[in-house]
Amino acid sequence: MTADMTTAKRSERWSGYGLLTVMAIAVVLPFLSVFLASVQPAGTPVVGLTWPEEWSWGNYEQAWSVAAFSDLIRHSLIIAVGVVPATLVLAALAGYALGTMRLPGGNAVAAFFIAGLTIPVELIVVPLYFDLRGLGLTNSFLGVILVEIALFMPFSVFWMRTHFQSTPQSLVEAARIDGASPATILLRILLPLARPSLTTLGLLVFMWSWKQFLLVLVLIQDTTRHTAPAGLGFFVGQNTTDIPTLAAGTIIVMLPILILFVIFQRSFIAGLLQGAMKG
Amino acid sequence: MKSTRRLRRRLARAACALALVLPLTACDALTPGSTAAVTGPRSVPSSTAVPEGDVTLRVQFADAPLMVDALIAAFEKGHPGISVEPQYKTFSDYVQNLKLTMTSDSAPDIAQYAVGMTDLAQDGHILDLAPYREAYGWDESIPPVSLDQLTAGLRSEATGGRALFGVPAGLSMTGIYYNKELAEKAGIDGPPRTLAEFEDQLAAAKDADLTPLGVGGLDTGGLHLWAALLNQTMPMDDYWDWVNGTKDATIENRAGITASRLVVEWGRKGYYNESANGTAQLDSTAQFAKGDSVFLINGNWAAGQLATTMGDNVGFFPMPGEQAGDPTVASGFSVAYAVSSRTEHPEAAGAFLDFLTSPEAGQIISDNGFLPPNPEAVAKPEGVLADVAEGHRRAVGDDGITTFPDFAAPAMLDRLRSGVQKLIADRVEPADYLDSLQDEWEEHHAE
Amino acid sequence: MPSRPPVRPPGARGRGPWRGYVYVLPAFLVYVAFAVLPALHTAYLSLFEWDGVTLGEWVGLGNYQEILQDSVLRRSVFNALVLVVFFSFVPIVLGLAMTGLLARYRRPGMGAYRFLFMLPQVIPLVAVGVTWRWLYGDDGLVNQAFGAVGLDGVTRAWLGDFDAALIAVGLVGTWVLSGLCMMLFLSGVQKVDPSLYEAARIDGAGPVREFVSVTLPHLRGELAVAMTVTTVAALASFDIVYVTTNGGPGEQTTVPGLLVYRLAFSEGKVGLAAALAVVLGCLILAIVYLVNRLSRTET
Repeated sequence: MTADMTTAKRSERWSGYGLLTVMAIAVVLPFLSVFLASVQPAGTPVVGLTWPEEWSWGNYEQAWSVAAFSDLIRHSLIIAVGVVPATLVLAALAGYALGTMRLPGGNAVAAFFIAGLTIPVELIVVPLYFDLRGLGLTNSFLGVILVEIALFMPFSVFWMRTHFQSTPQSLVEAARIDGASPATILLRILLPLARPSLTTLGLLVFMWSWKQFLLVLVLIQDTTRHTAPAGLGFFVGQNTTDIPTLAAGTIIVMLPILILFVIFQRSFIAGLLQGAMKG
Repeated sequence: MKSTRRLRRRLARAACALALVLPLTACDALTPGSTAAVTGPRSVPSSTAVPEGDVTLRVQFADAPLMVDALIAAFEKGHPGISVEPQYKTFSDYVQNLKLTMTSDSAPDIAQYAVGMTDLAQDGHILDLAPYREAYGWDESIPPVSLDQLTAGLRSEATGGRALFGVPAGLSMTGIYYNKELAEKAGIDGPPRTLAEFEDQLAAAKDADLTPLGVGGLDTGGLHLWAALLNQTMPMDDYWDWVNGTKDATIENRAGITASRLVVEWGRKGYYNESANGTAQLDSTAQFAKGDSVFLINGNWAAGQLATTMGDNVGFFPMPGEQAGDPTVASGFSVAYAVSSRTEHPEAAGAFLDFLTSPEAGQIISDNGFLPPNPEAVAKPEGVLADVAEGHRRAVGDDGITTFPDFAAPAMLDRLRSGVQKLIADRVEPADYLDSLQDEWEEHHAE
Repeated sequence: MPSRPPVRPPGARGRGPWRGYVYVLPAFLVYVAFAVLPALHTAYLSLFEWDGVTLGEWVGLGNYQEILQDSVLRRSVFNALVLVVFFSFVPIVLGLAMTGLLARYRRPGMGAYRFLFMLPQVIPLVAVGVTWRWLYGDDGLVNQAFGAVGLDGVTRAWLGDFDAALIAVGLVGTWVLSGLCMMLFLSGVQKVDPSLYEAARIDGAGPVREFVSVTLPHLRGELAVAMTVTTVAALASFDIVYVTTNGGPGEQTTVPGLLVYRLAFSEGKVGLAAALAVVLGCLILAIVYLVNRLSRTET
């Protein structure tokens, strides 16, 4: 290798990192701007990116207790805690059957699930409101939970089906010859192996549930039962002038999902990328 | 594989059959909605007794949170068994969700009267308060005229007289605030007597290198400006006909064109704050308080806040008429409260509404820049609050309080907001703008 | 019963092949009841003129006709398509460009970058919208940045500007989705056999030719996915628009999702809202179908 080529390579390498860093800064700046605004003294006018002269964490207290973000977070958690386990169980069961058994018309059923990947909330929200109101399920967490489970079901079934399809058929066969029932095979053999897939799916479903806005906006009219994004959406209209508190509220809404993202970043990123690929 | 293909074909056939059958069956049973009335009570009981025991009332509203908080605090002091939980929404959120909210099972016990309440009253979602009007003797504590605005055009089934769907807690009104210091700097010596004089003042402010007029066009500021001008150019009866949906009423006339042209012209001359269309009303008020503009278009609901932050430096006047002797006409509405048919505590709600008519409540209402239903019962306000009260007095005296234009149809608020934004940015011909309003009007009032 | 030992399906063990459906049933029921039926119900409601309360009136395809005629409704569909450029086209081009630059050599330290680039994906769009609403404001970071480089003349409230608002909203989408596209492509490239690059390099291929002849063909699947995901995000962009501009100024940023919400729940035009929702759904379906069709025929 000539000296010339090495320098070319090195400059290319550094310019690559340079570009990546520029993009990374573009991603981080908005977050930084909001964060710095959230630690400015309450009620002060804030301009763009300003380093606070004194760090005041009081805005978080203000947003948490006075603006009731604690309630919003709690409601979002209640919904997520309802949605995630139910989705995992239902998807694992359906994915197991569609992925390992030869069901008559199984492919058509799988395709029917997959078709739901393209359903936007906008398409179903109008009749949902009227139907669920008839059932007394508006303004209730249960109503939102059921609809979210249904919305996330296409992806979840697809994800688990793909997973079970990729587990070695010989394992299942061996267990079957030993006389294990289908339920035993699922519980004892396949599910323990599916832990990573289930974890990733659980994280994705939690995230989608946390992000859901339009559905909650329509199904939950009682502002005291709003979830984090819906509450933030209302809060912004009322408090545009108090940037520090608004910024603190925004950070509070982001925080739970951010913490999960930091802890499980490997699963998360793999899930987002593979999930997109498989879907 | 073959079997799935067969199944798919079968599914497709079934879907086609379904698609064919649906329209045929779409006659009665499957038609959405119903003609059935809402079950349950349609009016309040006729006694003023409030049952013992702890009760929580939820109040949803869109105007003057500080005033409502103060009213609630005063009410709770006198009624230890009843606690009131305020739920504040911004005006556009409130109006956008009002029908959903009031028809849902968790409707608040008490809600601010706004566009759409008429429909809700007709469908029985809010209670007829006429029995309370007699039982509590509201006709004595408030001028009956202000109650008669709130009948939704119905007669009371309970009393046989006029129905009542809200109790007013103060009258609102839009107008112009001015920063006295900045006005002086621009050589402006007092409130204008005519519209032309106001235009001269705007020009003077512009010449002094100041921002003449602050407008919060992102949400409702623009429409207040347009309506304030329209109030001066359009005969009041024509305007009322249009807002009330009287047959053959129209906004496509000379007055509408003149008002809309003024909005465009002022924009061309650079009278508005540069980012008017990107500024929310709350923000434009905060900017005005900081001294960013000489004038501000807003309503009396901002008076309390401005009095606190600006002290003696702020004044208020209603938009002046074309001639010096013209009556004072301004958009305004009773900030009234209605009671949901779904409430479990109509008696406690009645006690709260009755409190709103008391002198104590009137004082709180007046302190927050609203005209109390019974102005004689309160102490004389000072500073900008006195200006507002004076404006109110003149407008009421001239019978010149007109309803906001968005009351003309449920979708009108969106048309007005986006339409005035276009006027401000000089993106639409006044005639086309009025045409879009009239289209919406005709669609709604087609029957 | 088709019995084909030795791979006999476990669920079919002597109890009829349908028995396995017991496992599918719960998921199926929830999915049908709360997603499929509501979607069909939307299509059904779209054939009525209904205010949400009183008895509706059958109008056939009248609501669809109105969508074609009403300038606001048409405008919303047009705006959604403009957003596709910013949510889909720009991130994909940006992602491809970055991939072309980065794909030739393995780089250590990508983990930290990957974390940052995926960050906008996990944040609720409402929070993203609130953040950008402030960044675009009079006192926001965007104006501060322009001011810092001496361009005070262009500063404005971007979301209130007739010419800039839609682009500003679109760029929020670019911000959210560029990282995802890039990471998708970069992870796709890792599956390419490094020897192909070696071979290309020995042939004297520069970065551009290398990208076109080696990298791009291997990314067909990823491209299809990126297009699908970003387009759906662009067409269903209710959250961001609702909190940033609420459709204004004028109708510059009004999108179908916003109108579905407004028409159905505050303007009492439920049938029209349903029709618009159906149009939106069909648009998404058509694009997904088209993208998948194209990516498949080319392989």
